[in-house]
Amino acid sequence: MQQVSIAVDIFIQQILNGLSIASVITLIAIGVTLIFGLTGIINFAHGEFLMIGGIVTWLAVSAGVGFPIAVILSILAVGLMGYVLERGLFRFTLERPTNGFIVSLGLIVVLQHVVVLFWNPNQKSIPRPLTTVWEVGGVRIASVRVMVILITIAVVALSFRMITASRYGRALRASVEDRDTAALMGIPVRRYITGVFVLGSALAGLGGALLIALFPITPFTGGTMVMKGFAVALIGGLGNIYGAVAAGLILGIVEGFSAGYGFSQWTDAYSFVLMILVLVVRPHGLFGGTSGPRMAS
Amino acid sequence: MNDSRRAGLKPLRSLLPVLVILALIAAVPLFSPSNRFLSLAISAGINVIALYGLSVLFGQTGILSMGHAALVGIGAYAAAILARDFGVGFWLALPAAAIASAVFAMIVGIPSLRVGGHHFVIMTFAFGQLLAIVLTNGGDYTGAATGLDVTDHVTLFGADMTDLTRYYLMVVAFVTVAAVASWAIIHSSYGRTLRAIRENEKLAASLGINVGRHKIGAFVVSGVFAGISGVLLAYFLGHISPSQFSSFPSIYLALMVMIGGARLIEGPLAGGILVAFLPEVLNLDPVQSRIVYGVCLIAVIMLLPDGLIGGIVRALRGLFSGKPKSERDAAEARQ
Amino acid sequence: MSPILAISGLSKQFGGVTALAGVDLTIEEGEILGVVGPNGSGKTTLFNVVTGVHKPSGGTVLFRRRDITGLAPHAISRTGIGYTFQQAMAFAGLGVLENVQIASEHARATGGANPWPTPQALLDFVGLSALAGEKAGVLPFGSLRLLGLALALATRPSLLLLDEPAAGLNDRETTALVGLVRQLPGHGITVCVIDHDMKLMQMLCRRLAVLDFGSKIADGPTEAVLADPKVLDVYLGGEL
Repeated sequence: MQQVSIAVDIFIQQILNGLSIASVITLIAIGVTLIFGLTGIINFAHGEFLMIGGIVTWLAVSAGVGFPIAVILSILAVGLMGYVLERGLFRFTLERPTNGFIVSLGLIVVLQHVVVLFWNPNQKSIPRPLTTVWEVGGVRIASVRVMVILITIAVVALSFRMITASRYGRALRASVEDRDTAALMGIPVRRYITGVFVLGSALAGLGGALLIALFPITPFTGGTMVMKGFAVALIGGLGNIYGAVAAGLILGIVEGFSAGYGFSQWTDAYSFVLMILVLVVRPHGLFGGTSGPRMAS
Repeated sequence: MNDSRRAGLKPLRSLLPVLVILALIAAVPLFSPSNRFLSLAISAGINVIALYGLSVLFGQTGILSMGHAALVGIGAYAAAILARDFGVGFWLALPAAAIASAVFAMIVGIPSLRVGGHHFVIMTFAFGQLLAIVLTNGGDYTGAATGLDVTDHVTLFGADMTDLTRYYLMVVAFVTVAAVASWAIIHSSYGRTLRAIRENEKLAASLGINVGRHKIGAFVVSGVFAGISGVLLAYFLGHISPSQFSSFPSIYLALMVMIGGARLIEGPLAGGILVAFLPEVLNLDPVQSRIVYGVCLIAVIMLLPDGLIGGIVRALRGLFSGKPKSERDAAEARQ
Repeated sequence: MSPILAISGLSKQFGGVTALAGVDLTIEEGEILGVVGPNGSGKTTLFNVVTGVHKPSGGTVLFRRRDITGLAPHAISRTGIGYTFQQAMAFAGLGVLENVQIASEHARATGGANPWPTPQALLDFVGLSALAGEKAGVLPFGSLRLLGLALALATRPSLLLLDEPAAGLNDRETTALVGLVRQLPGHGITVCVIDHDMKLMQMLCRRLAVLDFGSKIADGPTEAVLADPKVLDVYLGGEL
């Protein structure tokens, strides 16, 4: 009887851990999926956007700013970075998305090493913004994880509302569905592309701020995280936000369990194996997606 | 008759500059270079061999692999494990590793290319990361995170090739073989088939070209180059570890081939040398030099889509030849 | 003599939409057949199913009595069926001659005299020899169409399917194209042209088949088909 209840404790804790990581991954995946859906650009540097969000939070908190303000600063800073990069670089690669992808590879290298140059390659952490640990029937629940999950749910719900209910959201979805037709209908697709870049970057900034609240980060954290973001985006179906959220949940829970039941050294492999399997069986993802904008060839 | 003879000689002319450059490079030991110079040059040369494979894949077929370091890693680990468990030396390890990398390329390529287009790049990236995880968790067999030692010496006709100068010359010879092989592919009907796929898959299929099979084939061919590069790397460094072959080294390989230019025979050579020696020349530390690589890559893609060499060639032709532009384009298209 | 291509009961559904509803059609050796119909009648779907771009939902396609239903596009081409696309296509980044070289290197058809033994001869036939050294991407549209025809011919087909071969051409270019296509049966190549341009069809074809809403509504000598009230109805209701 005792053993069973311990198993349940661990079970619940692992789900919680898994969900908090899944939150961060989902925040990346939404950006990845929207940017790809609208532009066909595979932005691999999205993980570095997340990392920079974490670094901004770390800098702000180290300078004595409170965590909530630091989060907002991260969102603004990375959102601005997304705006500048879209206007300065990605805008010119829209006709050849492969070039956009290659530019993002260059950005990975540049962004990582600029951070190393100014703030060294070591781990960076902040004091946990919430230290309370609740004990509920033997289950220890860290409030900071609950905070991460709740913030993500709130932000994702808000994004959903924006995308499904507003006039802009409908125009955006139409553009993701078929860029050329949307342009013919008078939707300012170019402006939406900038908007999506900024929104995706801001979400990555938020993700970075939340990530550093959970774990220490390094300038190289983005690489693993973006792969998981892509895995989730592809499993869910590129361009499909609902799919990204569902796949994020699946992956987070799988990872949480594997960490809790002694296979932690394989944790990073699950997202890749899952992604490869899903793509081989269903090339458009579990929940169906677009294959990117049609290109004039 | 005369026409076809000239047509046969023409591609030979395109190989000539590379051979001349390689001959000059082979003469470098005459000027008693430092050991540091030789080591850098050897690393660059080993990369260039893999880059020639990547240029067949990316430059000719238009497929980008983000897991190419993994194919090099398969070659390197195959060499290390063969030497440790079976006492197999360098020369036998070469074909064995080439086959191992080719087979791995096929295993990765079949599902990845089935998925197609946009996703292929991400699939190869994922396979690269997976390989690093598998090698890290492979226990004693793969030496886990610390990796494996390769202590065997390379001998050729009884001479120990481990000496830096001799290893350098051997690598130059391998680079020459890789350059000639890649040139032969470019100018064969096989190369034309790959370019047709790069230009228009639908049209290629309508002409009876089995697009899927040729794409996998190109990936396998690039795997052979990568496997050989891996053996040379393992024997040169004497020690290999998983982190050398994860996806980020793959990004650097892609970066080198694109900085040099993937479609021209000089491209891989230029890219490999440039990336290896740029920090030396500009006196940059590793962090600064990586920032410079990244900026170079972005600049090349935005400003010179044919790579640095392609851009230089275009600029020179524009300056020095009176040929009308369309004729020039046609000449480039044949390359 | 048995037909070179025999299509029977061919159907194709996309989701709930029926694009082809059990079409029967035969193409006789040595003829130039026209398949006409208004936009959305299933012409292009028919073309795509026969050339392997789409898998049919039902029915069979026999080429010289061999079942080729649902083969991949490259496999269809290798059986000896050549085809050109509605959108004029060539390998834009490669030279004109290299384009034709590639196509002829993959020719599988055997037997019979080869009317154009070299890529150069093919370029002469379509009248593009002067442009052999150009990059295909810089060709004017009319020349691009002719290059597309040369590419399909280079595979040495015994049956050639042309999907709207004259779309986008001016009158002079259309006349030149008609002149070329008319010569093909003399070289042992059967032709099937899919188009909605009645003027072109009257110039090219002695026999017409008419599709409407995915079904064949008429099939016979061109004059008889054009006088058929059912056909007039379709075309007067739509476009002519």
